[in-house]
Amino acid sequence: MTRKRNSVRLLALAGFLLLVCPAALPQSLHLPPHEKVVLKNGLTVLLMEKRGVPLIDMFAIVKTGAAADPAGEAGLASATAGLLRKGTKTRAAQQFAADFDYIGGSFDASAGADFSNISAEFLTKDLDRGLELFSDAILHPTFPQSETDKILAQSLDGVKSAKDDPQSVLGLYYAGYLYGTHSYGRPSDGDELSLKRIQRDAIVKFYEVNYAPGNTILGIAGEFDAAEMRKKLEATLGAWPARTVAITSVPAAPPVKGKRLLLIDKPDATQTYFAIGNIGTAVNDPDRVPIRVVNTIFGGRFTSELNEALRVESGYSYGAGSFFDSHKAPGPFEINSFTKNETTTPAIDLALQVLEKLHKNGVTEEQLKSAKSYIKGQYPPTIETSSQLVRRIVFNEFYGLGDDEVNQLEARVDAVTPAIARQIIEKHFPLDSLVFVLIGKASAIGPAVKKYADKMDQRLISDPGFWPPQTGAPK
Amino acid sequence: MKAIWYRCTALLLLCALSIAASPAWAQSQEFPVSIRTLKNGMKVLVQPDHSIPNVALYIFYRIGSRNERPGTTGLSHFFEHMMFNGAKKYGPGELDKVMEANGGSNNAYTTQNVTVYQDWFPRSALSLIYDIESDRIRDLTFDPKKIASEREVVASERRLSVDNDNFGLLDEQLWANAFIAHPYQWPVVGWMSDIEHWTMDDLKHHFEMGYSPSNATMVVVGDISPEDIFQLCEKFIEPIPSHAPPPPVTTLEPEQLGERRLVVHKPAELPLLLIGYHIPQTNNPDFYALNILRSVLFQGESSRMYQRLVDKDQIALDVSSFVQPAFDPTLAIVTAQPRQAVDPQTCEKAIYEELERVKGAPISDQELEKAKNARLVEFYREMRTISGRANTIGTYEVFMGDYNKLFDAAKNYSAVTKDDVQRVAKKYFGSNNRTVATLLPENEGKAKQ
Repeated sequence: MTRKRNSVRLLALAGFLLLVCPAALPQSLHLPPHEKVVLKNGLTVLLMEKRGVPLIDMFAIVKTGAAADPAGEAGLASATAGLLRKGTKTRAAQQFAADFDYIGGSFDASAGADFSNISAEFLTKDLDRGLELFSDAILHPTFPQSETDKILAQSLDGVKSAKDDPQSVLGLYYAGYLYGTHSYGRPSDGDELSLKRIQRDAIVKFYEVNYAPGNTILGIAGEFDAAEMRKKLEATLGAWPARTVAITSVPAAPPVKGKRLLLIDKPDATQTYFAIGNIGTAVNDPDRVPIRVVNTIFGGRFTSELNEALRVESGYSYGAGSFFDSHKAPGPFEINSFTKNETTTPAIDLALQVLEKLHKNGVTEEQLKSAKSYIKGQYPPTIETSSQLVRRIVFNEFYGLGDDEVNQLEARVDAVTPAIARQIIEKHFPLDSLVFVLIGKASAIGPAVKKYADKMDQRLISDPGFWPPQTGAPK
Repeated sequence: MKAIWYRCTALLLLCALSIAASPAWAQSQEFPVSIRTLKNGMKVLVQPDHSIPNVALYIFYRIGSRNERPGTTGLSHFFEHMMFNGAKKYGPGELDKVMEANGGSNNAYTTQNVTVYQDWFPRSALSLIYDIESDRIRDLTFDPKKIASEREVVASERRLSVDNDNFGLLDEQLWANAFIAHPYQWPVVGWMSDIEHWTMDDLKHHFEMGYSPSNATMVVVGDISPEDIFQLCEKFIEPIPSHAPPPPVTTLEPEQLGERRLVVHKPAELPLLLIGYHIPQTNNPDFYALNILRSVLFQGESSRMYQRLVDKDQIALDVSSFVQPAFDPTLAIVTAQPRQAVDPQTCEKAIYEELERVKGAPISDQELEKAKNARLVEFYREMRTISGRANTIGTYEVFMGDYNKLFDAAKNYSAVTKDDVQRVAKKYFGSNNRTVATLLPENEGKAKQ
């Protein structure tokens, strides 16, 4: 290591790194050492000691998420996670909140498409209390009826509140329109209709079926002693009874063929919010690193081609970009931006031109060089804290990526050539088949945006749900 | 917001300077800050941290929307955008291109009080960053074409964060009504008609007024040594001549003598409630007691307001409070998102009852302890990244007058008593001192009678 070290703790950490990779040359990008233990009940535990700040971060994922919600009951996995802290065998919801708040700690639980996740953060000195509370929520939730009713009603109002901010719901309409009835099309927090259908029994069943040690990966990072932590875990989460859980399999959704457009009417909007794209890639796609490099150039940074065109050169928008929202199965690829009503079609035309240009011209050696520096230069702050690191190692484990996802990133980025980029564009960036979702003032923009698609659908933002429209809604 | 590359969050809410008790870690040898004041008056604060091979560089200019006047509101924020649009050496668009090609990224934010420029980059780009920063501080240029397109960008930003955002819209109205004399009455992003009418001369005047090196503080945290930074400053920054700082803002907001109320009618799914109370500026000694009070009332699901409005009465989806760092007396804002079909006045009544309760009897020992613990964890959260530390050191230096106040925070918080909390509740959270803003949904087909 050539960098100066100014404290004993950093020297100790440096020594540790060298032990783990004795033959390796100094690298600027490397995950700190960590260990994996599987408890007797099947719980996978990842431990990373990280000194310097007296905090501990816990992050667990239960390998079942919103993709397992039954059709019509979107929000079930999310409500189950949200209720973990709302009453346990020994604590009422209020007591749980009081106990966690007293140590200044935080506790969150929610569900995404592929998994449910529970996280906590507290001071090292409060480890015993924090770990006990975390375990209590996961092992002993009671799902009181009153709390269940409360959380479902709050979630429903949460959907309404979100619809007052078009940007926060654009992705939900987009996923629904892109995936249709596929499970990735459902809003993971539910909608105004599905939340009314969810019963407490379904929540209890979701918990009993899916929350099990063998179906869970727990990561802990921060200032603690790993040997001591293992003992504490045996005494707490080690008591979680083993149970077999069926793996949720999510089929790959086929890309949409042709062009379709959904217009969500928000009559008071002075700005149109739009998303354009198709089905993208899975997290473990072998092309993921070159895709990242190409997308950095196309829509993944301030000087990306999309932002240059829609913001810097034309002033159409405050921002434009693109991203691959990868899941276990292929997730959405999305180009997005917003612009005032009057420039809706010029801005969308321009976004499409930028996409066409990418296909026509590919990327230059110079662009590649810049994108590579950018990715490598901006990566270290994403694995700076124990909170970031614990998520990184748990995701690496869950998606089967391994430490090389970080440790080999620089080499993999550097390996991308213009020829490889050309193949990536052909294979992963859609061109002729596209889904468009717009939220805006239909009376102002509706006639003009028909031209983008063979088929156009329209709904009011206040219509319950996202997409597709649901029938048989309870009153 | 993923994948959209924002710059310049005009309405950035620097939620309460979070300061906390017992930073033994912060007081140790591992937190050395080296200081130098350059000959042109710019103060430079440096803190080495070699845990990642990166650097965070923040420059705080003591100029914001409080230095503006009617007709050119939003100019500080617009100017912030123009600082990325070309100087003598790095022309329009080049700053971002060169910075990103060398592994760096940047952003900036403008508030009522300050304009802050942020660079995050690998150590290898250090000298380039100084070249870029000195170029734009010394030789900014104004290209009429860039002014025209950037004007549109800012208008889009305003549509995003105010016109099509209920919270942004109501917040703007609240400040406009709570202040009748002081410049905090106009929005940081500016009124739309002002955005449309700024001139090149306005921009040039703003540069001359606000961008003297002596009006700025630079904070550098990361994989560097103070010697490196001071050498670069001597070469790139020190030769830039200083000039007069912005004229002082002398207007004082007169005491509010009675409740003010305003209503916004607009299509919406849910109503919204904001209540603003006048409180003193950040460097006032009551700062610490006010933060403890706000923690007791609003922080966490066991807080009094959450328990009452969200959990027990179930009349709100959330309830919170925020305060921005400020040079002049400002507002503590309480926000509640009423549940569906709940009259915002029902939320108001519950909030006032809880305020009366905290005025009427001391908080418990447990509540006091809890609030102090929460502040401590917050402190560690902010200080654990090079970026968070650069922002916190700079914010203390600029708003408290000395970054060392960071280390006094422990003492200042532990000195807060239950009586102090009760006293500030009584002093600032009275009905005569509040402005109440309500957004009422007015939907198509079922508009108000």
